[in-house]
Amino acid sequence: MISCITPPFILDRLLDSDNEAIRQAALATLLTTARLRGQREVRGLISGALATAADGRRSIFDCENGTFLPFATFVRAEDDEPVADRSANQAFDGLGVTRSFYRDVFGRNSIDGRGMRLQGFVHRGRRYNNAFWDGQQMVFGDGDGEVFADFTGSLDVIAHELGHGVTEHTAKLEYRFQPGALNESLSDVAGSMVKQWHLGQTADQADWLIGADIFTPSIDADALRSMKAPGKAFNNKLFGQDPQPDHMERYVELPDTDEGDNGGVHVNSGIPNKAFYLVATIIGGNSWEAPGVIWYESMRASAETTDFQAFADTTFSKAGELYGAGSSQQQAVQTAWDEVGIRVGVSPTLGRR
Amino acid sequence: MRVSLATHGGLAAPITSRRPPRILDTERMPPAAAGQLRRLVAAVLAEGGGTRRSGRGGDAMTYTITVDDDGRSATITGSDTTMSAAFGALLSLIERQTG
Ligand SMILES: [Zn+2]
Repeated sequence: MISCITPPFILDRLLDSDNEAIRQAALATLLTTARLRGQREVRGLISGALATAADGRRSIFDCENGTFLPFATFVRAEDDEPVADRSANQAFDGLGVTRSFYRDVFGRNSIDGRGMRLQGFVHRGRRYNNAFWDGQQMVFGDGDGEVFADFTGSLDVIAHELGHGVTEHTAKLEYRFQPGALNESLSDVAGSMVKQWHLGQTADQADWLIGADIFTPSIDADALRSMKAPGKAFNNKLFGQDPQPDHMERYVELPDTDEGDNGGVHVNSGIPNKAFYLVATIIGGNSWEAPGVIWYESMRASAETTDFQAFADTTFSKAGELYGAGSSQQQAVQTAWDEVGIRVGVSPTLGRR
Repeated sequence: MRVSLATHGGLAAPITSRRPPRILDTERMPPAAAGQLRRLVAAVLAEGGGTRRSGRGGDAMTYTITVDDDGRSATITGSDTTMSAAFGALLSLIERQTG
């Protein structure tokens, strides 16, 4: 058995290995050893190794306007000082704040809960109006300079993208129709909570806007989306009115195509977004406390095809488990979903609308 | 040869899908760039005309490139999360040539 012949200090060093398989093997060995012997010092060694800043180490790459990520140039690592490129530093800092948020608020070690490295790619494409999560890394465009500015300039956008990674490693919600809109909403919830946590804002102090900083000054728009008032983030001649609904009665039926935004995942997210905003304001205080914990635990209990109703039901039962049946928190969850047209906590025999 | 690039999806999907497509015409391009465009289009078509949506990730944009040449028409598709090096090069060229 390896644990009998491998001294703890070597295992400790192996925990810092760049090789994931080696780290996992070392950790498994230490855990086995600790369990068998019940040694307090070994358990301390393990928790110390797990809590180091090495977890979720950041790397920033410069795409130099290219669109093919393997050609990007490495520009800043975790232990490096700030570099000359503002976008690289903004991505580095935003990923750092988001990593701290998940660790300090939910006890989550990076995207996968196991210290996954955080890789940010900046200056992707030319005049590229987007930021995305590709399953491994977070990628940011510079914007076209006319409508959109640099996408690294918005902490809630950075947290939104990292949030997609967390969802992929928990609920794995498929990216279409209601599960896709819920996926989008969970990223907006993450973006808002991270921004509010960073600014020290309570639910009633926050603006609840997503991407307020990514438009150029010449554009007449508050933000990409408003969780407080879905459908009211923008209304101008250039790109029309914010199409987000704030109630199931106004749910937008779109096809699962590129043109239809996979069934309107960035449109119908307005409904669960509004529900989270309402829960946070009804409960009061910090959104990342009871409201955030209820949402986070419900995400972890969700699956690929979870729809709005199923997620709402889960938040209601989680609120009951966490704060007690009939608690003010559980009542807030019920009221919030009811206000967007989704009934929870009602007996099936009474019927559901 | 006329090339049109339509972009959909992404973080700002409701806004970007309302933006007009980018259009290139080899008759209105410097000969060297026009030749490069023809070569890249041929390379992506030789790969099978790009890739379909992957279903992974979040906020990936999708691209539909329509090529009209001497009465023949072809459609090439790609997404941020699945594109090949050749598709990326074609996309970069269109982006560079249209602003
Ligand atoms: Zn998203």
